[in-house]
Amino acid sequence: MKKISFILNGEKRNAYVEPNDLLVDVLREKLGMHSIKYACGRGDCGACTILLNGKGVRSCIILAIEADGQEILTVEGLSKDKLTSLQESFIDHGSFQCGFCASGMIMSATELLDKNPNPTEEEVKEGLSGNLCRCTGYTPIIDAVLDAKKRDVDKK
Amino acid sequence: MAIVHEFEYFKPERIEDVIKLLSEYKGKARLLAGGTDLVVRIKDELESPAAVIDIKGIEELKKLEFREGKLHIGALVTFTDLIDSDIVKKQFPLFWESSKTIASPGIRNRATLAGNICSGVPSLDSGPALLVYEADIIVRGAEGERVIPALNWFLGPRRTALKEEEFVREIVFSLPAKNHGGSYIKLGRYKGEDLAQVGLGILALEGNEYRLAFCAVGPVPSRAKKIEALLNGKPLTDSLLETAKRLVSEEISPITDVRATKEYRVHVAKIMLERGIRAAVERIDGNGPAYGERLI
Amino acid sequence: MEEFKFIGKSVKRLDEKEKVTGAAKYVDDIEFGPNLLYAEIIESPHPHALIKSIDTSEAEKIEGVVKVVTGKDFPYKFGLYMKDRYIFAQDKVRFIGEQVAAVIARDPRTAQKAAKLVKVEYELLQPVFDPIEALKEDAVIIHPDLGNYPHVPWFFPKGGTNITHRLKLRKGNTEKGFKDADFILEDTYRVPRYAHCCLETHIAVGLLDYSGRLTIWASTQSPYTQRNLFADALAPLGFSHKDIRVIAPYVGGGFGGKAGVTMEIIAAALATTVKGHPVKVMWRRDQEFYNTYMRQQVVTKIKVGVKKDGIITAFEMANYWDAGPYAEYGANVVNASGLSATGPYRIQNVTIDSYCIYTNLPAAGPYRGFGYSEMSFSVESHMTRIANAIGIDQVEFRRKNGIKEGDTVAYGAPMNPNGLLEAIDKVADEINWGEKEESKDPNKAIGKGLSIFWKAPAMPPNVTTSAFIKFNEDGSLNILVSGMELGQGYLTVMAQVATEILTVPIEKIRVELPDTDRNPYHWQTVASHVTWASGNAVKRAALEMRDKIFEVVHAAYHYDKDSLYLEDEKVKCKLHSSFELPLKDFVINGIQTKDGTYRGGAIVGSGSFMPEFTSAKQDPETSQGGHPNVHYTVGAGAVKIEVDKQTGKIRILKAVEAVDAGKAINPRNVEHQIIGGLLQGLATVLCEDMRFDENGKILNPNFTDYKIPTFLDIPDEVVPIIVEVPQPDGPFGARGIAEHTMIPAAPIIANAVEDAVGVRVKAMPITAEKIAMAIADEKKEVDDFLMIMKK
Repeated sequence: MKKISFILNGEKRNAYVEPNDLLVDVLREKLGMHSIKYACGRGDCGACTILLNGKGVRSCIILAIEADGQEILTVEGLSKDKLTSLQESFIDHGSFQCGFCASGMIMSATELLDKNPNPTEEEVKEGLSGNLCRCTGYTPIIDAVLDAKKRDVDKK
Repeated sequence: MAIVHEFEYFKPERIEDVIKLLSEYKGKARLLAGGTDLVVRIKDELESPAAVIDIKGIEELKKLEFREGKLHIGALVTFTDLIDSDIVKKQFPLFWESSKTIASPGIRNRATLAGNICSGVPSLDSGPALLVYEADIIVRGAEGERVIPALNWFLGPRRTALKEEEFVREIVFSLPAKNHGGSYIKLGRYKGEDLAQVGLGILALEGNEYRLAFCAVGPVPSRAKKIEALLNGKPLTDSLLETAKRLVSEEISPITDVRATKEYRVHVAKIMLERGIRAAVERIDGNGPAYGERLI
Repeated sequence: MEEFKFIGKSVKRLDEKEKVTGAAKYVDDIEFGPNLLYAEIIESPHPHALIKSIDTSEAEKIEGVVKVVTGKDFPYKFGLYMKDRYIFAQDKVRFIGEQVAAVIARDPRTAQKAAKLVKVEYELLQPVFDPIEALKEDAVIIHPDLGNYPHVPWFFPKGGTNITHRLKLRKGNTEKGFKDADFILEDTYRVPRYAHCCLETHIAVGLLDYSGRLTIWASTQSPYTQRNLFADALAPLGFSHKDIRVIAPYVGGGFGGKAGVTMEIIAAALATTVKGHPVKVMWRRDQEFYNTYMRQQVVTKIKVGVKKDGIITAFEMANYWDAGPYAEYGANVVNASGLSATGPYRIQNVTIDSYCIYTNLPAAGPYRGFGYSEMSFSVESHMTRIANAIGIDQVEFRRKNGIKEGDTVAYGAPMNPNGLLEAIDKVADEINWGEKEESKDPNKAIGKGLSIFWKAPAMPPNVTTSAFIKFNEDGSLNILVSGMELGQGYLTVMAQVATEILTVPIEKIRVELPDTDRNPYHWQTVASHVTWASGNAVKRAALEMRDKIFEVVHAAYHYDKDSLYLEDEKVKCKLHSSFELPLKDFVINGIQTKDGTYRGGAIVGSGSFMPEFTSAKQDPETSQGGHPNVHYTVGAGAVKIEVDKQTGKIRILKAVEAVDAGKAINPRNVEHQIIGGLLQGLATVLCEDMRFDENGKILNPNFTDYKIPTFLDIPDEVVPIIVEVPQPDGPFGARGIAEHTMIPAAPIIANAVEDAVGVRVKAMPITAEKIAMAIADEKKEVDDFLMIMKK
């Protein structure tokens, strides 16, 4: 077992991990970050997306030990105090149905708006193209992202 | 699904330590950069390394630099880094265009060019760009460094010229001497992320010089020498293009699998050739479709 | 037209905030404590084989392994409409992936390691994969004991064969109908298997506590039906319904795949072997493909006769459905879709034979649309071809033959009020039907396709649902129902129905997810019947509460009950305009009267609903005489596409769909169902492509090679249209629409492709490859069926 430390949602956290533990499992089971969803295990669907040092990545194909010394943001981090305007926009648009893709989608969209605060519809589609959704047909998600003009991240 | 196979994990800070570990583990160690290929293979029990060497702590491998007409791409440079780079977009547009077709944003944030070429899969999207730009792959081993030209890199499906106990330190693209345009066209089953069923990279240089390379239609990505020989030095006419299209079936040897039949791959490869060459030629002077626009 | 306060309003979804903040819990998010055990399943590598022996000794030795279970520990059958399925395979395995044994261990890795050490010896049997092959005289029989299987009375299995059910429908005289026809078209269509691809895979956790109580947490559409099937299957162990509790948190997608019982019974059974320990069984993505339900494959032979003015005179159809080796649910897909296979047309002479056939491909069963999408592909393709052949406009053809209220459907019942013609008109208008468009690109061609659709809820005749409602001290409401929020917006719509009666703002209403100990009975969340049925139950519960409220006010103030009404969370009186009693003042605490005593108490309501006009008493030889369906929802869809004639690739320029919701309780929810359902339907034609090898093994059980649409694959424009012709017995006129939105997708593409490039594809999917090669080879018709890949 190795002790790893990293910043999770603004707070320094520790975990004891084996080299072959996956990041998605350690974040969910040991650190209680259940917003992260496991849906394919191969990086094909985006449901496990978290922000690692500000970049959207597939936590199901990252070893937990790689998180040592890094910074991770999950939906729990976005929801701690006020919701972000992206989250408010999703609620207003009623974008999500079953909700299983929501967390990964929100992290990818957060990264997208961070990099490009005023994206075109094409850019939204491209930026979220790695996040699969089976329920919505995507249009309500696109509408909500385009509507979130300002993004605020409350970094502690 | 958890990973059952157990392995050691190292995160060295210097290249020398990587070399030491590679020789210590005698071919039973694997380098870990983005992990988008390696971790999936370990999960699927297709790889069972005794040790995983995480190179993400080695600063000098993160460099992406353009100096003296050469683009130096360090082992840790990701496809997102390449796509975000103005230099890559302006100076090596075919490579930029092919990078954008790879997987999805979340994968591109992690996947490195070095890792991609080390996987050596037949459908490698970066393969054609490497071959038409005639890039050099700089590998480091216990004996020092050596240069492997891209043209000698691909030996077979998942087999490259990289020796055990060596690793890729950087990849170098040289800017072609002449003005050029390019295109990378990829056949997928739909617009979303897909492995190429046919990939075609075309570099058109001023003065009727062409370099073409296919991927996904043979055991390795390779240059289309017959078509190049036909086209080089001649003005591009409709009938020359028709002849070139007929040569496609001699140039490639696709298979039938769940993704596509070999007949369809040959059929579309011809169309890709026609549309790709026209676009590449138009782009020499800055005309034609914008890079990144889908041509099929 | 009544003005509603809450009905017909696109109020915000009740569950959206939980889902957007990560608060929403799915089964795998529940923490089960340090005694949680993990199961790993040992699966059959063969499509059809005898199990000769199972050696679990090596696996049992591994530290951390708590138990190893095989079929002999659970020799029990289960099934929804027929009992033909096993908790663990007994003497035989019948598909690649079927569960043979399970290892239960303290952690997942140990379970995985130990599972590899279980040794199973098989004796191979001849498998059969094609439904028509499986019908042959000398075909291998997959269930030799079929004749003895218990089943519902409206199924007709044929012992000694692979026919697990046969629907036989005869209306009028098709022989005469064909003689009267001026034009007849006969052809064969094929639809392969499909996967639901819910983002959340199947998962169930079972716990038999030390007191002997069995609790199962499951990602399910059917908590009560699951409890019923568990009780039935585990009855030999002494369980009955009250001993079993099913808790269903949020579900990450269902689409029919989480109806009935598939792998959940494994968790229930395993739990009984490790008392005091919860056991988790969670499917990987590949297992999700091959060991849940797939959508069935079908071969359809269809023959339709018309007069030269376009009126249909005869309709004859034979459907050969491949249900896999367990048809306990799938047989009803065959039955229900067979009864309505004509589509929403007025036809006097109908002959339909639908066969549900066992094969050794993976088990198949319910999927959104319940067989109607598959039928619609052939019928709507066929009708367009006929209209074109006799020179009548395809839309005009539908208008002429479209079924009207009061017409008799194929099995003799009358058609309900419906907006079919309005849907056709609105869709045709939106797509500019009749206007031929040319592409600016000489390599491309534009085409349009249209289809009409219908579907009735496919259910037993005595399906029932119920609801409890209670007030809280602040005047807020809890509604307890056992319908499932799959994402369709069910919780929100129930709140809207209740509060149209009770006038409590939506923000003050909670609708609780199912728990069979606490929420009252609901059959299953399937069949698109839940807005209608559960809505009726909730409405009855709300009316009962309102009545009690008026009763209490009358008892305290002596106002006539008929003079009272509710508005803005207050009781008001028509005769005394100054009277305003806030609900929160008395719905728990009662009303104090002049002498200091109180009237009333906690106000609660209950409601129950079951249709009392449906019956499954039809004549097995003709399917006439019963009333199997409650009502139909109708609609129409159309698409405008641009086809690249060289590559065959299709770009969807515009997709339109109109559905008659009766009354759209939440219009935005209905529009979202149209947008989502249409894309799921389009995916079955344009990118999903399931393949098996010659041994019946699925070759693409992952998203790398079984493609579902991404953001980049949506139509350029989608126009959802809501039509409202009220359903007389629906809550505020509402009827269900959620499955229906998928149904027109396949035929509109098939028809549009023919319109654009003159190629008729008769076997799904309609890939770029099929179109390109047909154009290159100058073929007008394509029936390449590639689901089973030959070497």
